[in-house]
Amino acid sequence: MNETLQQWFDACLGTLGTLGGGVRRPDGSSACRSADETFPTEKVERVVELLAQFQPELSSAMAAPRWSTWQFEQGKIRCVCRPDGWLFGLVVRTESDAANNLNKVSDEFLALDLTASNGSS
Amino acid sequence: MDDDSVFLGTISDLFAAWSQDKWHIRQATSADQALDILKQEKIDVIVVDANMPVLDGVQFLKILSRRHPELKKVMLTGLATEERRSACLANGAELFIEKPRSSDGLKAVFAMLDELMTWKPREGFQGMLRKVGLQDVIQMECLGRNSCVLEISNPQVSGRLYIEEGSLIHAILGNLTAEKALQKLLSLAGGSFQLLPFEAPAQRTINGPWEFLLMEAARVRDETAQEASVDGEASRETSPSAGDARQSTVVETLISSEKGDVLYEWQCANAVNRMAWMQSVAQAAAAMAVDSPLGNFDRLELSGSQGRTIAQARPDRLVFVRVAHQPASA
Repeated sequence: MNETLQQWFDACLGTLGTLGGGVRRPDGSSACRSADETFPTEKVERVVELLAQFQPELSSAMAAPRWSTWQFEQGKIRCVCRPDGWLFGLVVRTESDAANNLNKVSDEFLALDLTASNGSS
Repeated sequence: MDDDSVFLGTISDLFAAWSQDKWHIRQATSADQALDILKQEKIDVIVVDANMPVLDGVQFLKILSRRHPELKKVMLTGLATEERRSACLANGAELFIEKPRSSDGLKAVFAMLDELMTWKPREGFQGMLRKVGLQDVIQMECLGRNSCVLEISNPQVSGRLYIEEGSLIHAILGNLTAEKALQKLLSLAGGSFQLLPFEAPAQRTINGPWEFLLMEAARVRDETAQEASVDGEASRETSPSAGDARQSTVVETLISSEKGDVLYEWQCANAVNRMAWMQSVAQAAAAMAVDSPLGNFDRLELSGSQGRTIAQARPDRLVFVRVAHQPASA
């Protein structure tokens, strides 16, 4: 990750109610981290992988979605996929600061300059 | 009923005096004693200490509700928490009162109990709402193709939903009507409701499948919560939820049973493919949630500049709704 992405990622995961998050590069490698002991890093990696796998399926329901939100009883998973292939997944508790912040961080991820990031295409 | 016999004796004497001996008060220091009295005499109101030894007050409430459904039940507690209040009200208590610590407090409790004595339940149901509770009631009425008026109130607002043969046809809340009123009512965190016999409203302001209306209301509620926390204008410029200058139109709807039977379809080009897609959504969601604190999957929402898609997976049905955004002037 470049420094800008790293700082932004750290800030995301520091928001109250965040369970974990990950960034998947266009080459398929990813950087994932847990932010809550109930949601370990391995689990975050699995979620990000599933999000990436399901991404092509979304086009049959909507052309070029800006983002998708998987809503559960106790949490939400936000997935944002950029046109350049970068994907961001964030797992949060419902009714938390992190849940209220989802649109903001999604917009931020879409606007990040990732051209100099390690592993980018 | 209270295990503190001194408190029990004092309060009984006071209340008997204040009622000018119109109240006939029985005292019990345990659940067993209370149940014996209820067997032997017709009791109008029981006041239960929430913190009883052996049998917890909430458990005792459950027993009372089962054995004596007509009995009015009041919980008295020295430690009033929101969790305990919810548990007591959900288990049939009419009132949940903190133990008074002053003479004025005791008089207030007496006044409340006196009022409760003369209170007669109106026809229909009454209950506490906790967020999705109201949605569940609406779903129950719509699925049953019932006709009724759902009167909803809390200390701040009061409104009505009109359901005719399973369709939401009108909503009113103060000056608001139609979807705006429905969305506002569904955003209430709590309150009470009553199901009243159906009466035709002065106007019909709502059309469309109730499933979509409920999901749209849930979406608006979520977005309102999100937008309240976002630093306004900058986010709104880039957010797909910035819908003030746009109109939303439903362009596709599909509702199927858990077995894959199409229950409702509108402008769905290929229902079989759509159901297969929703099944794969549900499977992917289940894989994400396994061994996690996320709980059961509710829905997938896709947002984009052109519109929004919602796929909801419930145990008894799958719902797919696609909405297109159009400029308001179009």
